[in-house]
Order: sequence, then C-alpha cells, then structure tokens
Amino acid sequence: MDEPLTPEQDREALAAELALGLLDGQARADALRLRLGDPVFAALVEAWEVKLSPLYSEWPAADPGGDVWNRIDASLADAPVKDVAVIETRLRRWRASALLSGAVAAALALVLLVQPVPAPVPAAPQLAVARIESAAEGPVVLARYDRTSGVMRLQIAGIDAGALTPELWVIPAGRDPVSLGQIGRAGTAEIALPASHRPLLQDGATLAITMEPMSATPHAAPSSAPVAAGKIISI
Amino acid sequence: MPPSRTGEAREALVAALAAVARQDRAALRQVYDLTSAKLFGICLRICGDRGSAEDVLQAVYLKIWDRAGQFDAARASPITWLAAIARNSAIDWRRSAAVRGSGAVAGDGGALAVADETPLADQQLLADEADARLHRCLGELDPRAQGCIRSAFFDGLTYAELAARENVPLGTMKSWIRRGLMRLKNCLGDG
Repeated sequence: MDEPLTPEQDREALAAELALGLLDGQARADALRLRLGDPVFAALVEAWEVKLSPLYSEWPAADPGGDVWNRIDASLADAPVKDVAVIETRLRRWRASALLSGAVAAALALVLLVQPVPAPVPAAPQLAVARIESAAEGPVVLARYDRTSGVMRLQIAGIDAGALTPELWVIPAGRDPVSLGQIGRAGTAEIALPASHRPLLQDGATLAITMEPMSATPHAAPSSAPVAAGKIISI
Repeated sequence: MPPSRTGEAREALVAALAAVARQDRAALRQVYDLTSAKLFGICLRICGDRGSAEDVLQAVYLKIWDRAGQFDAARASPITWLAAIARNSAIDWRRSAAVRGSGAVAGDGGALAVADETPLADQQLLADEADARLHRCLGELDPRAQGCIRSAFFDGLTYAELAARENVPLGTMKSWIRRGLMRLKNCLGDG
C-alpha cells in the first residue's frame, strides 16, 4: 500500500486536492491554471466535487443577520437593467457553455494572436498582445500592451450585464494571479500599469477575466474561475 | 422525510433559480429565504467570524444572481450547486486572507467546531442525495485520513494547516490524505 502513486493516480489526487481545497499558494495557483488549460483535468476536479457533495448535508445551518439581504438588494439596485434580448443571448451562451463544461465556467481555449508590426525608428517597440476569450461564445477581449509606455489598451466585447464586474488579472507563469483592476463591459479601455506590475507581463503569462463584486481597489485574489483567458505574446 | 416533501422543496428551489436566471429579484429573495441559513453555516464555519462570513454570503448571492442560468437540474441538485458556490467563495476568502496576512483566519475553526458525526441541516432538501456510499467509504478509511479529509472539507483547512494541527511533517500529511483519497476513489468506484 506504500508504493508511490502512478502518474494517473497523481493527477487524480491533484484533482481531489483542488476540489477539497487542500492546496494553497503556488500549488493552488498551479492547479487552478491546469484546470483552466486542461479540460480532462477540469473534468476530474468536477467529478471529485460531485463525489464529495453528499457531505454538504452535514453542514449545520446558521442565521445570517437581516442586514445581509439589504446589502444584496442594494447591490442589485445598482446593477444595470437588462433588456430581454440581452437575457436571451445570455441564456443561449449559458447553455452552450454548459454543454462544454458543465455547470461551471467554460473550459478555456488559449489562442495567441500574432500580427506583424511595422518597425519604427529608432528602437523597435516593445509590444505584447493577447486575445482573451472563452471556448464558448462569450467574452472576447483584445489586449495590446506597450512596454515602453506601460499602457495596456483593451477592446472589450461580449461581457454580459449583471451584478458582478469584470476584473482583469495577469498570471505570470508559475505564479499567483495579480489584479490589474476592474474594466468595463464593452468598448475600449486604457490601463496605465504601475511600475511594480510591468515586469509581470512577460511572454507566456496569462491574462484572465473573472467576474467580481464591484470594488474601487483591485481584489487580492480572484473569487471564481475566469470567464475568459489568453496568453501574452510579444510581437 | 417523505420523498414528496423532498421533491417539492427541490422543485421550488429549481423553479426559483430559473426565475433568478430571468433576473427576477423576488425569486432571488425566495432563494435567499430557502437557502441562506444553510449557506451562511458554510461561510461561517470556513471564515471563522460573522462579519467576514456575512461579506462572503453577500458575494455568494450576487454570484448566484449572475450564474443562475448555468444551473442544470439534470446535473446537480440545486442545494448542492448553491452550497458549492458558498464553500468555494469562503475558501477563496480564506486563502486570500492568509495571503494578506490577516490574523482573522481561525486556525482550525475550533470555536465553531460542530460534531461532524451528527448530520443536522436541511433534511428535506438533501434527504435524497445518494450519500450512503460516501459515508460508508469514508468510514472505511484510516481514522486519521478520514478526520483530515473531513476537516479539509468542512473547515477549509490546507495541507499546511492540517499538518500543523496534527503536529506531523507536511509530507506525512500529504501522504495520509493522498492515499486516503485514492482508497476513497476505489471504494466509490466499485460500488
């Protein structure tokens, strides 16, 4: 019983560890990234969540203060009103994503966008781009980052209205996500990156978008799986 | 626990979630009334203090508002789907609180610990979960592995926190739990 785990068992155990929430720090970041990039692993994690779900019946209930509902209600009052067409589109997307990956966020395809850029004089510009998207019909955000100015320009489309706000994250290879702040749901946006964040935008780093409660300051960590993600590539 | 009552409670929740997906605020209130005590129990035990747990609970219902359309009654029971959102949100809060170096994170949830052997809540909603096999398989594990797996699930403890609590090296804790999980999988898999 004490021989080492096979690679398959090791992968299975990692999925269980992520579903149970045993991991923290680097190990957790690595496992979350694997879940994003590997649909087979994502399915293992979901299977473990299902296996463990009977335990939920044992949790004792507790009474939240009445103020909590008032705060939820107030947050909803601030959310934009949506028309029927938007809702219909959204339901179709949900069905599409449910077919792909079940009840959680869509499995994500990482697509690189490469385009030729004229070489200005005197120095070649340091440009990086990323196409941030989901495998299903969903958000598509194009990011273009100028390393010389530290400014990132975004073209945002396909993020539905709702109570939560899109937040942009950079996930350097092998490290935890760092928030670049919340962004709009559509149109263009420009983010001037603080000097401390600029080194994070290396080739191979991932840009991801999660839906978060509105906040004036960047969150310390994402609270859910991304709705879209893509890798940064220099051009 | 007559099956009809279980079924009715589940159907009411499924219907309310479908209405939430259509952005019906009264339906969200209904979901809240049916489930907030359960979900708050999850948040409270994992977060360790009421204030943080209430913040997380608020975020949980905003997520439910946004994601209700993703719920698929054919794949999961509604209360399990909601409880998973609450548990994952509370664990995310715990992990990021640890990163922030907050002292607010209870080490082992001790102050809020409950008797794990006594199933309590929401029998009407949960009675028809097929849980007998999981409980039997957990019961066949080494008691240490079983206890640690339960603490991970119910208290949101990490490997490092479990190792500190049990006063064993991290590698020993990982070995206990990983082997326990593989045994659990075999037991669940062979019916």
